[in-house]
Amino acid sequence: MAGRITKSEQQLKGDPRHGDKVLSRFINSVMVDGKKSVATRVIYDALDKIQARIEKDKRENMPEKAIDAFHQAIDNVKPNVEVRSKRVGGANYQVPMPVTQRRRQSLAFRWIITAARAEKGKPMADRLARELFDAANGEGKAVNVREQTHRMAEANKAFSHFAW
Amino acid sequence: MTNEEHDTPAPSDPTAEAPAAPDSAPAPVDAAPESTAPESSSADPLVPAAIKTPSKSATSGGWFWGTGRRKASVARVRIRPGDGTFMVNKRPMTTFFTEERDHQDLMNVLETTRTTGQVEIQVNVRGGGYTGQSGAILLGLGRALLNYDGSLEPILRDHGFLTRDPRRVERKKPGQPGARKRFQFSKR
Repeated sequence: MAGRITKSEQQLKGDPRHGDKVLSRFINSVMVDGKKSVATRVIYDALDKIQARIEKDKRENMPEKAIDAFHQAIDNVKPNVEVRSKRVGGANYQVPMPVTQRRRQSLAFRWIITAARAEKGKPMADRLARELFDAANGEGKAVNVREQTHRMAEANKAFSHFAW
Repeated sequence: MTNEEHDTPAPSDPTAEAPAAPDSAPAPVDAAPESTAPESSSADPLVPAAIKTPSKSATSGGWFWGTGRRKASVARVRIRPGDGTFMVNKRPMTTFFTEERDHQDLMNVLETTRTTGQVEIQVNVRGGGYTGQSGAILLGLGRALLNYDGSLEPILRDHGFLTRDPRRVERKKPGQPGARKRFQFSKR
């Protein structure tokens, strides 16, 4: 079941620097081939770069700390609704559905990371820093994906009575 | 699951051991919260570890031992009152482990028990990788501190420093390439 607390959630520890569980999970999402120390380093490099950028170009609605900017970025990318296809009487309908908390976070992570990986020719830390900074400002690829998802849901509102 | 090797000495007569407790472990008594006075604890069966202390030190040349395990690693940890040096396999802990997380986890034990800089720690650790080794040292250090000052037990237990992490690598199964991974399904 979707809402149940799993063992992996209970065992999740906060990240080494801030003791932050969301960040810890994000590190795990960035990790490739079980290389956690590399992933950790990439994330902290990215956060340091975000910090530097926060101090350099001041923007409105930007938190002072990189870690808060990270949270703001994640929240800005989290979708509220998405469409899921359902088959009714031989026809497939795109039914808008609210997204569970956990899936919202997973999708936000996934979109940010995919957007960062899509950019080429720079270290992952730079790319992540940029994507997160943009997302915290409500810009960037990941935020676009979220808006697209919302638009799809809006367009298919007529089928929302099929929601299950 | 594996609650192994508690190298606990034979339970000694509490009344006979009690008088020795205060002078043989002066540093921990100072460091410990005032709540457990040696006199009261000696009569209390719930805190026998405080009484066990003297017999421990007598047999091990001033060292208090603790063994810890995690994954494939085994750590023998010994501590005694000292200046806070922390050696792992004869190298300083901070150079032995390169992970920030490992340093923090280990220093955290000393900080929560307020023993930072009061004990000298020597560790012999074998087997496994660095994550397992740091976890093994964590548990070993917890057990050694328990031997060193039994009144720390509630603190150590609350923070899980005395809990063996029973998780192991899941075994590979026959008919599959790994623990969970399956061979590709072929209809015929």
